Amino acid sequence: MQTKQTAYRDTVPDRIANTASVTIPSMQRQSLARSLFKNTRVALNIQSSKMTTTIGPNGQSKPSALTFERHAKCSLARAHSPLPHGSVPLPIFMPVATQASLKGLTYDQLRDTGCMLCLNNTYHLGLKPGQEVLDSVGGAHKLQGWDRNLLTDSGGFQMVSLLKLATVTEEGVRFLSPHDGEPMLLTPEHSIGLQNSIGSDIIMQLDDVIATTSPDHARIKEAMERSVRWLDRCIDAHKYPERQNLFCIIQGGLDLELRKQCCEEMVVRDTPGIAIGGLSGGEDKQEFCKVVDTCTGLLPENKPRYVMGVGYPEDIVVAVALGADMFDCVWPTRTARFGQAILTSGTINLRHKSFEADFSPIEEGCTCTCCLPADKGGLGLTKAYMHHVTAKETVGAHLLTMHNVHFMLTLMGRVRQAILEDRYPAFIREFFSKIYQGDKSKYPEWAVGALKGVGMDLLED
Amino acid sequence: MDSETPELRNMTFSVLGPAAPVLAPRAGTLAIAGRKTLSTPHYLPVTSRGVVPHISHDNVRKETSINGLYVGLEDFIEKKHRSPVFKIPVEANESPLRKFMCASNDLPLVLAPRRFPAIPCPPVNTQTSIAVSTSDGFHQLSAQQYIEAIQKLKPDLVIGLADVVSGKPPGNKRRGKMVDRTHAYTRDALERLYGNTVAADEKCMAAYFAPILPLDNAQQSLYLDDLADEFRDRLSGLALYESDCLSFIPESLGDLPRLLISDPRGPHAILREISLGADLLTIPFVGDSSDAGIALDFTFPAPPRSADEREPLALGIDMWSSEYAKDTSPLREGCQCYACRRHHRAYFNHLLAAKEMAAWALLQMHNFHNMDLFFQGVRESIQRGSFEQDVEAFNRTYVSTLPESTGQGPRLRAYQHPSGSNQPSRAPRVYGRLDDALQKFQDSQSSVVTPDTDAEGLEKHGFAEKA
Repeated sequence: MQTKQTAYRDTVPDRIANTASVTIPSMQRQSLARSLFKNTRVALNIQSSKMTTTIGPNGQSKPSALTFERHAKCSLARAHSPLPHGSVPLPIFMPVATQASLKGLTYDQLRDTGCMLCLNNTYHLGLKPGQEVLDSVGGAHKLQGWDRNLLTDSGGFQMVSLLKLATVTEEGVRFLSPHDGEPMLLTPEHSIGLQNSIGSDIIMQLDDVIATTSPDHARIKEAMERSVRWLDRCIDAHKYPERQNLFCIIQGGLDLELRKQCCEEMVVRDTPGIAIGGLSGGEDKQEFCKVVDTCTGLLPENKPRYVMGVGYPEDIVVAVALGADMFDCVWPTRTARFGQAILTSGTINLRHKSFEADFSPIEEGCTCTCCLPADKGGLGLTKAYMHHVTAKETVGAHLLTMHNVHFMLTLMGRVRQAILEDRYPAFIREFFSKIYQGDKSKYPEWAVGALKGVGMDLLED
Repeated sequence: MDSETPELRNMTFSVLGPAAPVLAPRAGTLAIAGRKTLSTPHYLPVTSRGVVPHISHDNVRKETSINGLYVGLEDFIEKKHRSPVFKIPVEANESPLRKFMCASNDLPLVLAPRRFPAIPCPPVNTQTSIAVSTSDGFHQLSAQQYIEAIQKLKPDLVIGLADVVSGKPPGNKRRGKMVDRTHAYTRDALERLYGNTVAADEKCMAAYFAPILPLDNAQQSLYLDDLADEFRDRLSGLALYESDCLSFIPESLGDLPRLLISDPRGPHAILREISLGADLLTIPFVGDSSDAGIALDFTFPAPPRSADEREPLALGIDMWSSEYAKDTSPLREGCQCYACRRHHRAYFNHLLAAKEMAAWALLQMHNFHNMDLFFQGVRESIQRGSFEQDVEAFNRTYVSTLPESTGQGPRLRAYQHPSGSNQPSRAPRVYGRLDDALQKFQDSQSSVVTPDTDAEGLEKHGFAEKA
């Protein structure tokens, strides 16, 4: 019999045991010197009308469709300048609408969760409906009827998931279309061209992604260096820098020296935002934190930092403390379809028999459409009813997806508020205390270690 | 006879204007205290586990005009133990069923023993029970249990238990049994729900719709006589399983509302049922169309056409067709449904091809909206007195069948598909299409050596089997 409540994770067990000890490399000391609040930042505004000009890699002026604004210190208050499709508060979690649809939700339902920015997947949209349709319809916003911001990944991540079917060459990635088996080549130019057709507000460079757990150091180095070369090709190929923000992606596996080199190379290229890639591939969380901390320590303060493919609430809360701003993950929506509800105290699987006659809301006090009582304008759904429909009706998936997305976005709102009110350490303590019912012996070692690195003792009362 | 007054029951039904008691179309209103009033003829959406398939509760409230739900008890009970629906704490007079399925307060709830359409059950019905399909297997629902469920769950309308044979036509002997059993179920239920021995404050408030069997008039005449006479005062309506049965409703039962639990395969069949006097109808083809990716596209009365337009119009649009891949027009020009206000055909084509759940949710909203307008047109036509001519024009204007479905729908569930070991596989094999390519890639040069997924992942992708 499974336990009723678990800390945030899927039902799949962790692949790697949490045994490595904490070693603080030289890079980390730099960030130790930085205060926690220097690292935690809270605003991203991306504008279209008011263009800011930055200097490109070749010395020419590069327009950017994004302005970054730090809200943590009020002295930095500038005119409010929104993203092409609305202002985005940071830190942010972005739900993933892989194929131009968020798993059964209408875009009004997504809007109701407070979402300002969601993801589409270039690889999927490139296969269906394809560039020709995207061009004809006028981009992904018009295709899916979403008038807020979109971010697209480059399609490079699919290399990790389809590795056996792909070969990476300097030219690009050769792979077979999973839909019809046709051989295909994805180059940085293709990726940017597609993303230009998609018209997303933030686009990602094509990077050479390999699993961080790869033991082949030479390959990791090659991938990092190739990603830098591909960034240049992406910048050159990018047609609409004034309305689409191209983010670079820092690679280098778990090798901090490689990450450092990559940061230096990429920061010079001055993209409107910076992503830390290649993580969340099953690596040890201590390693993950070290990489994030190393990179954020080297990245300019005035640019949003996006940690790709992360993640669980704990990972996000810690990564924010390490100075990251943007996160995306399919976990909240995917796990919803398996019946897992995300709560402040961890996740529960509503398919479990113990919920069949539990007539309390999914989470008491939650303000999502599902949990809000009927007399307050919500649906007043109970765990028992969710148990009744989960995995049996598509509506069960829609409802739980709404709850989980709302949970993640509300969590980010609370993180932001805590930073603005200068009480983020207290927030983190409360957050972990709720997951582990105050039992500090259960706190994950990686989180304690990572927070110690930025000057916070999680175990302190 | 007891002197039970109709006011005791929450439901009233009135026919608008003069109408022949049977075999004529009629417009009316069915009002249930505290719920939305239904103008008839109207459809009754069939639910699955308490939901209108694919439309989440908030969208049912905000984006549809759905004003009634047909609920099968079999969706809520289990074989082994007392079901949670009976355990939910409620206020006095609150319906546990409504509360359990989180239906809004103003939505009339119709409770039937089985969902519709129900899959045939291998176990047979008995003298005292019928076979039902629950989430944990086939199971007998006794007449006794059903009566208790009605008393406890407090639906607004209830369909009486009937011994109906599904799957194959019943033999001669079986038909006799069907009538006898249904007669007994009905007599017993009416006595226990509304009888003189039931204390006044315990009398059932649900309106009872007595079943009329899908048999000849002659075969069930004794039963019909009793409905018209002995049971008459306790009945609030009739539930029919075949439109042909509308022809032998006794005149004295003519003022009762008639719910036709049948599966018309398109608007032509609906119009025929209405012309025979059906008031409420189940129309499962709406959901089937949504699943098949078909956007319904017909109006009643039919749009006026010039004499040279001879080609009959299609009843729906198959959104799987690649001709809509770049079409940025709504499903139907001028349609005010949520899907048409927000999206265009190209998006539907994409969603279906991508097998995204939103396709079915949005099509379902459009298709129900189409039926709202269709039934509104029917009611107005009946009141205008032009129904017969309008039906003729409709039949001339539209082809008689819905478009064939060409694409794949959502995954079939156990309650939609008969079980059994010799059933063919429901879904084609998805993985393995890359098997041919596997060899090529094994031979090809790759600088990457580590597999990125575990054995389970490899197996899922059809690479290898776990040894």
